[in-house]
Amino acid sequence: MRLSFIAPRPKPFLSLFSKMWVIFIALMSLFMIIFNFYIVIEMSSFKSGVVDLTKEREMLELKIDEDDATIGLILRQKALSEEIFSNNTLLKESMKNLFDLVPDQITLKKVQMERNSLILYGISPTQDTFNFLLAAPLKSIFHTSNTNFYLTKEGWYNFVSINKIIGEDGLRE
Amino acid sequence: MNSFDRSLDKIDMMKLLIFLMVFIIVTFAFVFLLIIPNVKDHRILQAEYKRVLVHKTRVENLFFERETELSKLKAENVHVISAFKHPFMQEEFMRYAGKFFTHVSLTEITKSEYKKEFVEYELNATSTLKTPTNFYSFLEGLNRYSSIVQADFPIYLESDKESISATFKIKVYDLNATH
Repeated sequence: MRLSFIAPRPKPFLSLFSKMWVIFIALMSLFMIIFNFYIVIEMSSFKSGVVDLTKEREMLELKIDEDDATIGLILRQKALSEEIFSNNTLLKESMKNLFDLVPDQITLKKVQMERNSLILYGISPTQDTFNFLLAAPLKSIFHTSNTNFYLTKEGWYNFVSINKIIGEDGLRE
Repeated sequence: MNSFDRSLDKIDMMKLLIFLMVFIIVTFAFVFLLIIPNVKDHRILQAEYKRVLVHKTRVENLFFERETELSKLKAENVHVISAFKHPFMQEEFMRYAGKFFTHVSLTEITKSEYKKEFVEYELNATSTLKTPTNFYSFLEGLNRYSSIVQADFPIYLESDKESISATFKIKVYDLNATH
């Protein structure tokens, strides 16, 4: 016996209203999980970035140390070479000055240049020629200056002039 | 849509409140338990990353400065650097000295360490030359020689009939191989 005019319908477990809420909450949760996932991924990329940057920085610091050492070496080489080059130039100049100092009348036979002394052996026509033309400038350069003369058979004078500088600088003028 | 479902027409206030509560609880749970702590960590890590990046950039700039300085120094001192690297060879030096002197011979005296990273060789040079000008030219050219060489005292010059014999000390500087 039928008590109703309509056929019975199975009642859904969740009403449309409930389904909408459930889907809404699920979507919301999904969105939050995705957002969180994004943050976690970015965090791990930061972590690995920090490690990479630290390694790179340490490598650069090592290279800077190497560069500093090389720069130091080059500067020391430069300083030493400048000292040597100026010594060579000074030596050349002092030799040139010495030979320029010797007048035509006087002939040098032997020159011994030490750091603090200069010994000249040579021939001069007269003692005065030597004393006026060579001894005077030598006395102005050196602290002590002694000359001995020996008469030759030709009537000229062999001389030995010993000149010394007292001090540390030596013969570099 | 199910035409028989009237749940949207007649909203059950109780259900609505319950779902709203569930929504709020779930959202708050996510926000407070997951997102806020992670965002905090994220911020800390981001600050750390920026700090490390700034530090590295500074070091990198310093490195570029040093590289520029080094290449400038290298360019300015090409001759000096190559001269220190160039090993001193007696034959080569005698060939050079032969341009100025008619006869040259070298005898090695000492080899000693000089100022930490250099080696100093001392040699005695005996030579014969025609005029003192040759000696000046020799000393002048020494500064452009392929090794670092210094002519030093004592210098003995003795004139013969036609030539001058010169004996002098030369000091050669090389880089110490251990450095």
